Formats: sequence, structure tokens, C-alpha cells
Amino acid sequence: MEKEFIKQTEHSYTLNVTAGKIDSFREVERTTGTVRVYENGCIGVAGCLGEPDEAELTEKAKEALAFGIPYPEKLEGPLEAEAHNDAEILPVADFIPTMQSFLDRLGELCPRFGLSNKISLKYSQSEYRNSKGRSLSCSGGNMDISLVAQNRGSGNLFDTGFGWDGVGFDAEKLLAEFKREYDAFYVPADLEPGRYPVVTDPSMIVFRFVNHLVGDLYAAGASLLSGKLGEKLFSEKLTVRDDRNPDTAHGGCFFDAEGCVAPGFRPTLIENGVLKGLLTTKKTAETYGLPNLGTADAAYDGVPGIGFGKLYLDATAKSLKELVPGKAILVAIASGGDATPDGHFATPVQMAYLMENGELVGRLPDLAISGDFFDLFGKDYIGTVHDDPLDGTILSAFEMDVEKA
Amino acid sequence: MLQFRDGFYADVRTEDRFRTIIQYKAGVLEELKTRREQQAFLRVYDGKLWYYASVTDVKHLQKTLDGLYGAATANPAILDDPIVRRFERNVDRIETFGDCSVRDIPLRNKQELLLSYLPIVTEDDCVKMAQGIYVDRNSRFRFCSSLGADIEYDYQTCGLRFDMNMAEGEKKFTGSWQTGCTRFDELTGLETEIREAAKESADYLRNSVPVEAGKYPVVLSPIAAGVFAHESFGHKSESDFMLSDDSMKEEWQLGKTVGSPILSIAESGCVPGCGFVPYDDEGTKARKNYLIRNGVLAGRLHSAQTAAALDEGLTGNARAIDCNFEPIVRMTTTWIEGGDLTFDELIAPIEKGYFIKTINHGSGMSTFTIAPSLAYEIQDGKLGRPVQISVISGNVFETLGLIDGLTKDVEMLSFVTGGCGKMEQHPLPVGFGGPYVRVSEMNVQ
Repeated sequence: MEKEFIKQTEHSYTLNVTAGKIDSFREVERTTGTVRVYENGCIGVAGCLGEPDEAELTEKAKEALAFGIPYPEKLEGPLEAEAHNDAEILPVADFIPTMQSFLDRLGELCPRFGLSNKISLKYSQSEYRNSKGRSLSCSGGNMDISLVAQNRGSGNLFDTGFGWDGVGFDAEKLLAEFKREYDAFYVPADLEPGRYPVVTDPSMIVFRFVNHLVGDLYAAGASLLSGKLGEKLFSEKLTVRDDRNPDTAHGGCFFDAEGCVAPGFRPTLIENGVLKGLLTTKKTAETYGLPNLGTADAAYDGVPGIGFGKLYLDATAKSLKELVPGKAILVAIASGGDATPDGHFATPVQMAYLMENGELVGRLPDLAISGDFFDLFGKDYIGTVHDDPLDGTILSAFEMDVEKA
Repeated sequence: MLQFRDGFYADVRTEDRFRTIIQYKAGVLEELKTRREQQAFLRVYDGKLWYYASVTDVKHLQKTLDGLYGAATANPAILDDPIVRRFERNVDRIETFGDCSVRDIPLRNKQELLLSYLPIVTEDDCVKMAQGIYVDRNSRFRFCSSLGADIEYDYQTCGLRFDMNMAEGEKKFTGSWQTGCTRFDELTGLETEIREAAKESADYLRNSVPVEAGKYPVVLSPIAAGVFAHESFGHKSESDFMLSDDSMKEEWQLGKTVGSPILSIAESGCVPGCGFVPYDDEGTKARKNYLIRNGVLAGRLHSAQTAAALDEGLTGNARAIDCNFEPIVRMTTTWIEGGDLTFDELIAPIEKGYFIKTINHGSGMSTFTIAPSLAYEIQDGKLGRPVQISVISGNVFETLGLIDGLTKDVEMLSFVTGGCGKMEQHPLPVGFGGPYVRVSEMNVQ
């Protein structure tokens, strides 16, 4: 009988912000334990909330074998690896005063904005062991600033937002960038309907098509990509990965739920336009004869399923100015879009800036943008830039049809 | 028995949650589990700051509570605080599902029910992969406060969902069907309904045509109308968004005309289904609240904090998705009230327009959106071909004013997968409903 043991601990401190003032402090600690056992082509899973008793969970997992859930006994082989980045981002005792001071200064710089939502400090630890001798562990943390901004008097739920996720909190840098966005917000801009470079967090588009990258849908012929693994389908410039690298996916885990470790800690789906991999678990890979990419996720008491850590597109330019040297649209909020079964994507854009030479010029009216799957990732893919305007940011540019809403 | 201290407000919410998940994909068992979790969320308020803790160790709540007291500062005038003064002190015990708890139904029965339906969704050759899920949940809540509130109630949902990944040549489509209810026996005898849904999806795959983008009259089904009400106006009625901007009080004055005179949107935690919340997570008793009545802004949704800030009454809408989070202002069940037309009368005057039958998702800010799944042309007052639409959208207030027809009957719907998302808290079970709703113009893409 083969066996896996997993333990995960998450510890978070979260501040709620209302009208620029902190009004609550929340502490959450959550530990979970998992044992999976494999015998006669089946899996048995047991999990617990709280400190795990491995022997007790093992017995329960053995009992769960009776459910008869098919799963291949293909555990990863011997490997010992760890990645720990336990440096304190900010002492917890300083969290409230430091962030209230930051909010006060932001409020002075942006007096027409009402600011609310959350600021969090999050730390996590993960441990994976199996009966084949694999032993992996990692830990890390991140700070997440997620503020929504109401333009006073607009009557809207929110008009824009300030966000950052990382490990090196630099108040001056963040305040300067947020002020740049604030100033541009109050400069009216306009453009004629047509085709423009649209700069956006690539997840807005990629995740609308991610089901076409799921291994079992691919194998069933229900994906737009079915039968095309290994073919060059997209722009030479396009490389899409699942980021599990602790250097960029702060607080994440470098291995998947089945202990798989990808080269560079980034399983690759598309490389230089070639479809290189599909989202799989060991089960879907085995069932459909696909290579296992190592992108499994699992609830603490669940059978592994398809997961996706954090989207990563390789950089093709060093700066926004180099990426889109002329006129472009920077999408700040685009909520509610979707794609038709044949791959036509459309979304309203509730908040966008006009950019010229990589600099914010002004705020555009509500827009509607659209494009087609193979074009967006093919001839209409312009490229990707990292760490501009803030460290940790990934922005991609696509040539798209743009109309006023 | 928890010991509360003078000089503070405090409350403790505990949940004992039981869940079952059974999932088949391509005819193979993928998941089969029951889960029982006990968690607690504790709050202490000193008049300046709230201190929260979430714990799984429900046997030592006093220790956690004392830790929160240690972080806060005693306030002799806490009982005069405008938030604390609003809290209700209800003492109640409600057991709705004691005679039909899904905890007592053998796992084998649940699995056999799901298995009995699976062959139906793969009858058509175009289905390349089908997935079926059975989900249930039974929760026992308890809420106690330093003011003497002591409430216990139970909550239950169960349901089925089927997804059919279809392909024929270059045509692809994912059809789906789901239902949610509160009693397991309501899930039997659904063969005809599921078969019809599978057939309709196969027809959509084969015969749907791309939409001609533009502005058209649109008819929304009860589910589309319910999601529209939730997204377009329900979120705007959550009054926490009014706290960061003083001008909001003027902008959102009760009595202001915000929609067509035939439009009324109501909200209540009393409605049976997945939005059933007899007491919210601050111990406030549920009640029916009108958000819009005959086109006029009639009310909004509150927690104690927002009710105090806006000097209005409680509504029973402070909710958290689970004991990892604090309660915030959320919806329960939201619906558009019915009108006076039949469906045929509703579509009769439309020369060219679209009928949105089922949806994938919706969202709402200044512009709301609905991403349809099954949609049809309306041509010369009759339903026509199936059409592919990415998204329908519109300015919220313009669209609320363009509602010009409602059918008589209102359908209330519950679901057991997905739910409402608000910032970090997703998914929250909510109910939807409405009649068939005609809007004279919407943007169709």
C-alpha cells in the first residue's frame, strides 16, 4: 500500500478599512492534515481540521478505500527539497499603526477617494511526504493590499482600486504609484471606436479559456485545442506557465498536491506559441495517455483534481513603454465578460486609462472590448511586461476591438 | 457557558457543518466523501475597533475570547455605543430539518440517486464527457452575545448538477442543468426534466448561430431576471458601500425614483431554499425588505454597523460565508415581483429581440453584465433559432427604467454549486427569483 501525508498551516492577520480608517483586526490560524492511501488501483482519503494525527488519519483513509474510487498508484519517486522564506514582512504589533499611517498619507494624496476593503499579512507552511521517499516542504508569506476606491459623489459601489501583493512593503513606492493613478483618474480622455492595444492582467483573458487547457476535456475532443498538443498554434512570443516559483508566487508552494515539482517550478502550458502541456492530475494523465504537467490541487479531505497556482506569462519587453510605445488602453476593471463556445471573447470595461508611451494620460469612458481566442493568443498578442509599474505586476497587451459601452 | 466581561460587546458564532460530495466524470467515480467541520468565529468590540478570531478548537472558546478581550480596551459606555444599541437580543431555537436531515440519509442512497440519472445525460452522441455531482449540506448554528442573545437554528440544502461537454465537428458547447432544494426526496423523479435539458443543449450545439451584436429588446427568464436583480441592484443596496462617501446619503435617498413604475425588488432571509437565514450572523431576525417598490427606492440592506452609521433599522443581512470570516452586508434571497402578462403576451410585441433562458454568470457595477448560456432569437413575437451570445450588458439605472413587461408567475430558484462573491468572501449561498422580464433595450454582444 502506497501512502501520502500532507500538512498545511495558514496564519493570517487582516485589517478591514472603512472610509480610510482601520476598524477591525482579524486573526485566523488554520491547520489541516491529509492522508491518502493507494491499493488495487483505488485511492482512500482522510483529512482533518487542526493538528493531524497521522496514524488515525491513515486508518480512516484505509477505510475509505472501500468507496472504490479509481486512482493510479503512481507516486513521485525519492526527492528531498525545501524552500523557506520565513522573513517577517512586518511585525504583527506594528501592523495596525504602520498601515493606518500609510492610509492617512494615501488619503491626503487622494482626497477625493473614499477607500475601503482589506490589507492582509499571510503566512503559510506546507509539508508533503510519500512512501516512495519524497519529502518536500515550503513556507513563505506575503502582504496583500486590496483597496477599493469610490470617487466621492459618483454613487457607484466603487470606481477603481489600488492593489499590491508582495513581500517588500515600500510605502513610498506604493504611494507614488497610487498617486499617479489618482491623478490620471481625474483627467478625462476619449478615443474613437476601433482596434487598439489593450493592456491588462492576462488572467482576464486566459482564465476565460482555461477550460480548453484541461486534460480530460482535451482528450474527450471538447476543447478548441483537442488533438493539437505539440503544435504551434499561437504567437512565437507567447509562453504561458503555472507559477509555483517562490521567487514570484509569494506565499505559494513549489510542488503540486501530488508532490510534483516542475522545471523552474513553473509547469509550462504554452511555450513560444507551441501547446506544450495540459492541466492534469496523475489520474487524468494516466487515463488519457497525456504527460502529467504537475498541476493538481486538492481539498484537505479530497481526491486530487485540476488546479492552477498563479498565471505567469514570460516577459517580452522590459517596460510598458517598450511594450506599447504609442497609444494604448490600460484596463483597470473589467467585470462580467465571457466567451462563446467557438471562442469569441467580449467584456465590458468599467474602468480604463488611456496610455501614451507607457504613461497614464487620463480616464476613458466605459468601453466594450472583444477578440477571438486564436487571434488573441496569435496575431493579436503583443507581449508581456513584468514589474512595471510595481514589482510583481504582470501585464500583457493584446490588439482588440474597442467600442464605447 | 461563556463568561462575557463588562465594558465590551462580544458575540460568538459556532457552526457544525456536515457536507456530502459525490462526483462522477465520464462514468467514473471521482469523489465520494462526507465532511464534518466545527468552527467558531468570535468578535469583541470596544467602541473603537473590532477584534476577531476564527478557531477550529471549539472546546476552548473562553481562552480565545479572553485573548480578544486582552487586545481590546474596556469602555464603560459600550452599551451606549450606537452599534451596540442596535443589536437584537433574540432567544430562539428553530429546528426545520430534524425529521429529514441529510446527515441521516445513507451515503449509498445518495450515490444511487446520482447514478440513476447519469445515463440520461449521455444519451446523445454529441456528449463527449459528462460530469454529475451530488452535494448536500446540513448546518447547525448557534449564536450567543454578551447582551443575552442565544439562538440556535439549522440550515439544509441538497442538489444535483450535470455538465455535458458536447462536440460535433468544430462545434463545441458545454450544457448544464442543476437544481437545489432542502429535502432529499425532492431530488427524485427528475428524469424527464434532465432529459429535456440534455436534448435542448444538443440542439443548441447543432443549430445555434452567432448573434448580430447590437441593441435589442431582451426577455429574461426567471433565473436571468433574478441574477439581474441581484447583480444590478441588490449589490447596490448593500449599504456598507455607503460608509466611505458621505455624499452617498443624498445620492441614495429613500423615495427617489430608480426604475420603471412596474418594478419591485424584494429581499428576505425567510424564503425557504439556499438563501434561508432566519437569523443573520449578528443575531438579527430575518424580515422582508423592499429595495425598490413601484420604481421607487424603498430600502437597503444592513448590518448593525451600517444601520448605526445611516441611522436606519436592522434588516437581517449581516452574513459570513463560514466561521473563517466576519459578517458583512450580504443578500439572502432576492427577487423581482410579478406583473400581469403571460409569456406569449410578453414576447408578442417584439419584432426582433432575444430571450435569455439560462446563464453562466453575472456581475454588476455601474454596468451590469449577464453571460448567457442558452439564448434564443425572438422574431415577430415568436421564439426562433438558438443564438450564441457572449454577454448582455447595460447601465444599471437606464436598464431598470427600461423594464416594460412582467409575467404574472414568479419562480424562486436555489442552487447548490457556485454562489455570490463579495471581495474576499465567496461563495455565499443566495436565492434568486422573478417572473419573465422584458427590457425594451439592452446591449447584446
